[in-house]
Amino acid sequence: MTVVLKVEDLWKSYKKNEVLRGVTFSVNEGETKVIIGPSGTGKSTLLRCINLLVRPDKGRIFLDGEEITRPGINEARVRSRIGFVFQHFNLFLHLTALENVMLGLTKVKGMPKEKAEEAAKKALLSVGITEDLWHKYPAQLSGGQKQRVAIARAIAMNPRLILFDEPTSALDPELIGEVLKVMEKLAKEGMTMLVVTHEIGFAMKVADEVMFMDGGRIIERGPPQEVILRPKNERTRRFLSRIWELYDLGVRG
Amino acid sequence: MALTVWDYLPVIFSGITNTLILTLAGVGLGFALGIPMAFAEVLGPRPVQLAIRWVGRVIRGIPLLVLLFIIFFGFPNIGITLPPIPSAILAIGIRSAAYQAQLFRGAVEGVGYGQLEAALSIGLTRWGAFRHVILPQALRLAIPGWVNEFTIVLKDTSLAYAIGVTEVFTQAVHVAQVILDYLTPLLVVAAIYFTITFTASRLAESVYRRVSVPGLGGGAAL
Amino acid sequence: MIDDILYIVERYWPLLLEGLKNTIIITAASYSIGVALGLSLALLRSYGPKALAAAVTAYVEAFRGTPMLVQLFIVYYSLPAFGIVLDPLTAAIVAIGLNSGAYQSEYFRGALAAIPRGQWEAALSIGLRKWAAVRYVILPQAWRVALPALTNELIYLLKYSSIAYFVTVPELVFMGKYIGSRTYMYLQVYTVITVIYVTLALTISEGMSRLERRLSVPGVSITGRGQ
Ligand SMILES: Nc1ncnc2c1ncn2[C@@H]1O[C@H](COP(=O)(O)OP(=O)(O)O)[C@@H](O)[C@H]1O
Ligand SMILES: [Mg+2]
Repeated sequence: MTVVLKVEDLWKSYKKNEVLRGVTFSVNEGETKVIIGPSGTGKSTLLRCINLLVRPDKGRIFLDGEEITRPGINEARVRSRIGFVFQHFNLFLHLTALENVMLGLTKVKGMPKEKAEEAAKKALLSVGITEDLWHKYPAQLSGGQKQRVAIARAIAMNPRLILFDEPTSALDPELIGEVLKVMEKLAKEGMTMLVVTHEIGFAMKVADEVMFMDGGRIIERGPPQEVILRPKNERTRRFLSRIWELYDLGVRG
Repeated sequence: MALTVWDYLPVIFSGITNTLILTLAGVGLGFALGIPMAFAEVLGPRPVQLAIRWVGRVIRGIPLLVLLFIIFFGFPNIGITLPPIPSAILAIGIRSAAYQAQLFRGAVEGVGYGQLEAALSIGLTRWGAFRHVILPQALRLAIPGWVNEFTIVLKDTSLAYAIGVTEVFTQAVHVAQVILDYLTPLLVVAAIYFTITFTASRLAESVYRRVSVPGLGGGAAL
Repeated sequence: MIDDILYIVERYWPLLLEGLKNTIIITAASYSIGVALGLSLALLRSYGPKALAAAVTAYVEAFRGTPMLVQLFIVYYSLPAFGIVLDPLTAAIVAIGLNSGAYQSEYFRGALAAIPRGQWEAALSIGLRKWAAVRYVILPQAWRVALPALTNELIYLLKYSSIAYFVTVPELVFMGKYIGSRTYMYLQVYTVITVIYVTLALTISEGMSRLERRLSVPGVSITGRGQ
């Protein structure tokens, strides 16, 4: 088993606000790990640290055994090996769907245009974005389509790992399914993924491990059946019961 | 036979060249100074950011006429004597730089942090992110502001009358003083300014439409 | 240089003070005209009869498309031919006020347009008539939205009051020129005058942003415009 990502005792605070308080875990090749937890507990900060968008105060992060938190690391190179899918898509507004996927290939990987275009099209097709949408601008796409393009943008770079930060939270309920399906397919194909989400259905079905975060710490972890159906921690239980309530409402309504 | 404004029309028109020279050189100088100012204010170290912000604020608080007089009448006090046209261009350019810096900084900030994060996340360097993602969007966002700035500068060139530049307004006033009728030459010169601003706006609009992208330009966007 | 500046302030402060007074009078008076005119024009253009709205549009475009200096010269030099003779100070106030009215009507119009449709519908739904809805629901929101632009306009007028120099109103720039011509210390005089303008401009901008904060209502968004 190859360890792709290892996070070791990560700490981060903003002024007096201690956001991460000693987070430790790792993700093996081909695994999908899901992080759940109340908002404001540092989940986004954790993902941003891993992608070097935020510098942790303390602790180390390893990608394929190489410490990426050490000073002097080539940040851009590290990021090109880690995909990031944002809650609000963050598609490049001045570029079409196809160009959004191509940008990293041409400007980061230095691929010639034709090759990049071919790879981008392949990535788009793999997330179900068909030819009729390739030349549309982000503003002309639905939320679900935008997020799938964003996933294609990450996939196309051929990353070692993709981070997802609540990829379906900004979507209308009827569009959530198409994005989750794409993610599930990715997981099945062996992509290594770290997913922050409140979609417990997805976690149950896809996750190899679920980690529950609260107050900047992982306070419970284990197989999804354990953590989601038989949580041990009181806070996990309370959080999940609220999620189930919403889930039931969603299913009925 | 009394001379009418129609006999003097060519005199007024002859001022258009200088008006356009002042406008284009002023906006150009403003761009050349304003863009680096904006960069430094967005990307520079904190003390530089603060310094530039204050320089901008101070310049935006000075009437153009005062800047013009400082340069044309004041600079000779420290041994720098500039002819009228360069004086006017310098004053107009400095004023415009302060506004263009503000304009462009606003556009860069308008692009938003999410775009920068996304650009970095695919492995672009900070400079690459700026060049391929932030800049193309910011330039588009800034176009309407630039058109506005151009028309403001065009109208402001009339102040160069105060230091004897023979631009179109000066010519109109001279004609008025000769034919002892102010209204006609002033309406003529008003029409000239209006035509130029109008044409420039239309032209810019068509450029804007050509480079515009759905969801980018004025409106809020994700 | 410092000595010269001190000398000028010491020797000529009464003239500078007189100039400052006139600068403030022009700015305040023309701004007041501009607010009243701008608001009326915006309401007419947004909610008035079609023909009037078209006339207002023509007025606004004419004033925004030509230099303030041209407008001032028309008011001061060519109105006498029609029997309207204004003294320099009044002419400056009228010309700058008319110009500002055109710009301010655009700020108000933008603010009116920024109020969501739902606000209208809600106002009408409780039985308010059109103008009552404008007065009690739309305007109280709109002018808060317009406030940053109106602040900029005041600073803009402070600076543009200097064009009164061209029709011999003894405001700051005029006094500067006079003092300069007597002392040949133009740079020193205009340095003093620059300090006065910048101090005034920063004071206005600080005061207005305080006012904005005090008047702000959560959710009524405030958006400024460039200049
Ligand atoms: N750039 C920042 N500056 C200051 N505080 C921040 C910043 N980013 C996040 N925080 C704070 O860190 C805490 C955790 O935020 P976040 O990681 O976004 O939580 P989550 O994703 O779990 O909702 C919050 O209290 C948030 O206000
Ligand atoms: Mg979050």
